[in-house]
Amino acid sequence: MSLTSNPPSSGGGPSSVSASRTQTLKRSVQQAFDDPADRGIAPNTGYVSKVRVIDRYKVIGFISSGTYGRVYKAVGRHGQPGEFAIKKFKPDKEGEQIQYTGISQSAVREMALCSELSHANVIRLIEIILEDKCIFMVFEYAEHDLLQIIHHHTQPTRHPIPPATVKSIMFQLLNGCQYLHANWVLHRDLKPANIMVTSAGEVKIGDLGLARLFNKPLHSLFSGDKVVVTIWYRAPELLLGSRHYTPAIDMWAVGCIFAELLSLRPIFKGEEAKMDSKKTVPFQRNQMQKIVEIMGLPRKEQWPHLVNMPEYAQLTTLSTPHHKHAASSTSNLEKWYYSTINSASSSSTSNASLGAEGYKLLSGLLEYDPEKRLTAQAALSHSFFNTGEKVNASCFEGKMEYPHRRVSQDDNDIRTGSLPGTKRSGLPDDSRPGKRVKE
Amino acid sequence: MAANYWESTQRRHWQFTREQLEDLRKKLEDEDQNLVQMYPLAQLRHLSIYFNQQIARLGKRLGVRQQAMATAQLYIRRFYSKVEIRRTNPYLVIATAVYLACKMEECPHHIRLVVSEGRTLWPEFFSSDTSKLGECEFFLISEMSSQMIVHHPYRSLTALQGTFSLSQEESSLAWSIINDHYMTDLPLLYAPHTIALMAILLALVLRPNQTGVQSASNSGGGIASAAHAALSSFEQSRSGTPEKHGGGARTKVQRLANWLAESNIDIEAIVDCTQEIISFYEVQEQYNEKLTREQINRFVKARGLDK
Repeated sequence: MSLTSNPPSSGGGPSSVSASRTQTLKRSVQQAFDDPADRGIAPNTGYVSKVRVIDRYKVIGFISSGTYGRVYKAVGRHGQPGEFAIKKFKPDKEGEQIQYTGISQSAVREMALCSELSHANVIRLIEIILEDKCIFMVFEYAEHDLLQIIHHHTQPTRHPIPPATVKSIMFQLLNGCQYLHANWVLHRDLKPANIMVTSAGEVKIGDLGLARLFNKPLHSLFSGDKVVVTIWYRAPELLLGSRHYTPAIDMWAVGCIFAELLSLRPIFKGEEAKMDSKKTVPFQRNQMQKIVEIMGLPRKEQWPHLVNMPEYAQLTTLSTPHHKHAASSTSNLEKWYYSTINSASSSSTSNASLGAEGYKLLSGLLEYDPEKRLTAQAALSHSFFNTGEKVNASCFEGKMEYPHRRVSQDDNDIRTGSLPGTKRSGLPDDSRPGKRVKE
Repeated sequence: MAANYWESTQRRHWQFTREQLEDLRKKLEDEDQNLVQMYPLAQLRHLSIYFNQQIARLGKRLGVRQQAMATAQLYIRRFYSKVEIRRTNPYLVIATAVYLACKMEECPHHIRLVVSEGRTLWPEFFSSDTSKLGECEFFLISEMSSQMIVHHPYRSLTALQGTFSLSQEESSLAWSIINDHYMTDLPLLYAPHTIALMAILLALVLRPNQTGVQSASNSGGGIASAAHAALSSFEQSRSGTPEKHGGGARTKVQRLANWLAESNIDIEAIVDCTQEIISFYEVQEQYNEKLTREQINRFVKARGLDK
């Protein structure tokens, strides 16, 4: 073979593999890491990884799946402390044979960025193992994510997330964003499912699968990647056809997440318009409509570049049938905010204490004009964080107990179960588990 | 970190001392003494010139930006600090590095296109099987520990252009010198801003408008001797000895020297960089493309690495 004519000394044959396999594991889970069909045609030629995933990690179960592949929970075999989440990128298949087809650009970006980044509020990469035509990215394990926490607060009845938790989550989330943006990294897919929370209450921004550097000349959103930021968290400038990425699009998403932590529902829950047969990207009318219903129509007085947006003309076609006059200019965000934080049925855990500063932060993040929108840096020094209760380093200071992440032993369940986790945006099944019902 | 060189994997894992680099390479040769003896190769700088030419040919066909080609060159240099060259098919490694660098630098090309261009350029040494390149990509990334974000001196050059009032000619000469430094070990030895300053220094003293230099690498010996002069005139201006003659460029050198004196930048490093590139331009004089190519092709064929 072309690469190396000598078999590397490490690796070991299939026999050593089966010897180290633990009996208690369900075959189906382990199989994902040890499929003989993956083993290549001739074992002693070509690229062979120096490290084997199953030699280093014991897989405990399956966590979630997405377009890229699957995520498994694992522990170290050599006393590596803690637990791990192993993201396995599925190789492309040509027919039945698994082939090397070239690594996707988004996987390359995620591998490169995660290798470079290091911050308390960004999920930590342990190592990357390239083995048997598959890529395994080993991350620190996080027991929770925001989607799961939000969902927990709707069960069995709605009870708000404590204000101290909201504050700590927001601070840590902004801190992670600030780090990413200071390093010219745009996340581009911030949403509750991608914000991890460890059992120690540390918030970690995860899934950098769509992240990229913005100091490089960027191709437009439409020419490059097929998948873009999940529609509910998509900034208005993107909906209006802007082709320029700025950190402000992440900040809009952070604003949406803040709102969702307060109300336990996506604030702008639109329906995605699908691409037509010509693959032209449609105007996301329904999503823009949802934003306009709460925020009012954007006006060029508050957003000077609005008139230059490719889809500017579409704005006139939007309507809010119930209160035409109100929707045309004024924002209902303040009303939305106060009715949300005061709506707690049991006053004991009301978010009312977040007060006026909370509204100011929210409206600063959900600012139409991306140039006026709060930056992560500015948001961190917002009075919201130094008014009232102090910001806790752990978001669980209030002794909250959340159920652990579901870990399945059976790989075959994945297609039916819609588990919280790292599901990629833009998929038809991007809706919430158990939330399909009309609200 | 992606934007901060000081915390980057480049500085933490891919910056060596000369001794470390020598040890790495010696270790590779020692592990395969027979192989090394059986297939003698030209010195590393000549191999690098050859690789650079091949990358340029492929890059031209694909329309690849210079920065992506620079990234590819650095990938190759990193890779061969870990893997004995005679165990690989350099043509496949070159094409793979370009393919990967294009993805990293946001100008991706389809794997099939890269393979078909490689096939056109090196028909006897390049398989039309795309999975070979895909496999080599795993090898390359693995040896680089997935550390693929590269900091280039180009950005420092662009940022410093104004500071030193570089003319268009001076800037483009500095740019060419940066292009050339990828054929040396400098990117594994020094920080990008050190290299940018070296390139600016050389460009100023070479005075492109007078010597009419187009590309530093094309001119050879002339450059080397001019560069020697450059270095000594820089040393002079550092020590503050006033020069009798000289016009604008002389003043600019003086300004650069003053600027460096006030900064925390390691001036010895810049001097060392300058000497390294000068010695490269000298070595370039003896480059024999035919011999270098034949030596590479010989081991690729003999060992069946093209299969």
